[in-house]
Amino acid sequence: MDKKYVPRITSFLCKWCSYTGADLAGTSRLQYPTAIIPIKVMCSSRVDPVFILRAFLKGSDGVLLGGCHPGDCHYETGNYHTRRRFAIVKTVFESLGLEAERIRLSWISASEGPKFARVANEFTETIIAMGENPVKKKIFL
Amino acid sequence: MKAKVGVYVCECGPNIASKVDLDRILETLPALDEYREIELVVKKYGLLCSADGKNYLEEEIKSNGFTHLVLGACSPRDHNKTFIGVCKKTDLNPYLYKIINIREHCAWIIPDKEKATEKAISYLRGGINRVLYQSSLFEKQLDIDPDVVVIGGGIAGIETALSLAGEKRNIYLIEKSGKIGGKSSRFSSLLPRQGKGLALIEEKIEKVSANPFIKVFLESSLESIIGFLGNFEIVVKSKNGNTDIKAGAIVVASGYGLIDPLSSESHSYSESDDVYTSLEIEEMLKEHGKIMTKSGKEPASVALVHCVGREEKGYCSRICCNYMIKIARYLKDQSDAIKVTEFHKGLCMPDKGDQSFHKAMAERGVEFRRIQKITQDGTKISFTGMDGSPGNADFDMVILAPAIVPSEDTDSLAELLEIPVSETGFFQEMHQTTDPVATSIDGIFVVGAAHSPKGITDSIFFAQAAAGRILTHLIPGEKIVPEVKVTEVLEAFCTGCQNCLDVCVYGAISYDESKGVSVVNEVVCRGCGNCFGSCPSGALRTKHFTNPQLYQEVREAIR
Ligand SMILES: Cc1cc2nc3c(=O)[nH]c(=O)nc-3n(C[C@H](O)[C@H](O)[C@H](O)COP(=O)(O)OP(=O)(O)OC[C@H]3O[C@@H](n4cnc5c(N)ncnc54)[C@H](O)[C@@H]3O)c2cc1C
Ligand code: SF4
Ligand code: SF4
Ligand code: FES
Repeated sequence: MDKKYVPRITSFLCKWCSYTGADLAGTSRLQYPTAIIPIKVMCSSRVDPVFILRAFLKGSDGVLLGGCHPGDCHYETGNYHTRRRFAIVKTVFESLGLEAERIRLSWISASEGPKFARVANEFTETIIAMGENPVKKKIFL
Repeated sequence: MKAKVGVYVCECGPNIASKVDLDRILETLPALDEYREIELVVKKYGLLCSADGKNYLEEEIKSNGFTHLVLGACSPRDHNKTFIGVCKKTDLNPYLYKIINIREHCAWIIPDKEKATEKAISYLRGGINRVLYQSSLFEKQLDIDPDVVVIGGGIAGIETALSLAGEKRNIYLIEKSGKIGGKSSRFSSLLPRQGKGLALIEEKIEKVSANPFIKVFLESSLESIIGFLGNFEIVVKSKNGNTDIKAGAIVVASGYGLIDPLSSESHSYSESDDVYTSLEIEEMLKEHGKIMTKSGKEPASVALVHCVGREEKGYCSRICCNYMIKIARYLKDQSDAIKVTEFHKGLCMPDKGDQSFHKAMAERGVEFRRIQKITQDGTKISFTGMDGSPGNADFDMVILAPAIVPSEDTDSLAELLEIPVSETGFFQEMHQTTDPVATSIDGIFVVGAAHSPKGITDSIFFAQAAAGRILTHLIPGEKIVPEVKVTEVLEAFCTGCQNCLDVCVYGAISYDESKGVSVVNEVVCRGCGNCFGSCPSGALRTKHFTNPQLYQEVREAIR
């Protein structure tokens, strides 16, 4: 694999916790890979399974979804729905023979800058190790 | 009309400029092929958020006549509002602007300037793509009703009413029983640290009756409610008919109850025994001035049993340890000869002054016995001590401290108000740590023991906190601006499956039987987008976070 391979990662972060955690990683001058470009949503629950699948099939090598810790969702129960829906996407991935490790759901609080940087680093590492998404643009939705 | 997008990158002093090559951004973006169809103006500026910066931006928007605006600057958490304010001074709709955080998410995390610049370019491109798909949104202003309905006339409800009532704000206090005051007005005294508290409570009750801006409905209850923050319509049911009320907020202060001692297997409680609940003792003393057995004699020995039903309920009721020591004092004040034993499982006395009260009563001869287990059958008590050794004793009188439980109407009120109750059965607050008086419905608050077991002092804290929230959110004469980034139903696609109804915790979605589709109440919706994820038909659209808009950002991430 080409050493300079920069994976294409789509990261959805909820405004209240995980996006703020990402901000804090910046304020604390922590380092994480350039592949993570946050896409802000109001709540992780906004990112429905089909959208994740679409982002993946259109060409993401990995999809990261960040939300508040269970119990801390700004909209009370949003992330419980996210968790259930994400479990469904994982199952769909597996049954379609797609690599489920390429999608990840993480709970990151507003004060967890270091955790955000760690997740961003680890996830990018994982994706780099797996290489390019083999079904990229081969299946359409 | 051809789009004309203004892109302004901020140096943020040296914060961004030293880490991101802004000149390269200025060269790269306008040269990109994909922007051939639109007009792109890309400039940099020192400090956009400064007074000069804001004026500069305002002038730029006006003189260029931008259709869209993208800023490459700091976190939206810092200055989104600032720049929305700038847009509002111009003809540019603020929802056609977007801030891209090239400081926290580029400059500060990537030491390599070239890489940081590349990421900033990519991030900005996503922003430009997205903003072109954004639509103007228009804020609505709604008149509000500053009046407040308080449900429950205990100390929490009384304090709320007194804190809020005034020239421009009427309070409607709905009380189920024949008089206000709640349980606190049934006591003979309060704790030593509360001084002359009881007299002060009486004073408050009188102030309510004398206040021309408080209307008390006795022997009344909530019949129905519809509406939202600033605009609730309530029907109050009283003996002599129903009353319609309009109010801007609702405060629930329906108090607590005591668990039935019989719900615990280790306890007995019957009319014929000299076994009483704590509240019955308070009432007996208040009414007869003395604590007496059923045969009219003063008891020679009294057992005070803490934590009745605590294990069954799974929480500590917080206030019982304190008031049980107060009851021990009633007995000792009545006659020093009464032998008083308190059976407890560890004392909970967190407030200042509590510990010294405990010490003082121990010195007056009250025996505090910490035990592991207790079984009480009538006035006979057997127990296991902390060292595991068994013991038993018979008393003339047993007084139980039953767990504090939600008042009996909690579930029916929760259903009427459409607010949730927690696992413990009390009303669920918005957030236990950061937002304890609010509920999931904007404009409905919960105070006092209706929220969780609480003493009078804490009940007053809560009442004042809710009053503070209402005073700052429902200002007479002011209008409220509901969230505009809300979800809408595309009726043509909605199959009426009603999946979305269960998902929305704010009760913003209802079902229109006649049309067979769901309807979102835009004033109640907070725009979280959760319902969107639940709709199998793609019939929902969360404004400003639509799929095409988000997809523009995704497109850049995977380019
Ligand atoms: C034995 C005992 C001794 C105590 N001693 C002390 C003490 O010394 N110091 C101290 O700080 N605390 C003491 N407490 C705690 C104290 O009673 C509570 O903190 C206080 O009563 C809480 O006030 P509240 O207004 O929240 O509830 P409550 O006093 O329970 O008042 C609730 C009111 O709401 C009304 N209501 C209920 N449902 C409805 C409905 N559906 N519609 C309309 N109205 C309704 C009720 O009729 C009642 O008037 C003691 C408690 C007990 C049990
Ligand atoms: S989930 Fe979708 S289709 Fe079902 S009722 Fe709600 S909006 Fe209509
Ligand atoms: S966006 Fe959120 S608040 Fe609005 S209707 Fe949907 S679930 Fe309810
Ligand atoms: S707001 Fe963060 S997960 Fe809902």
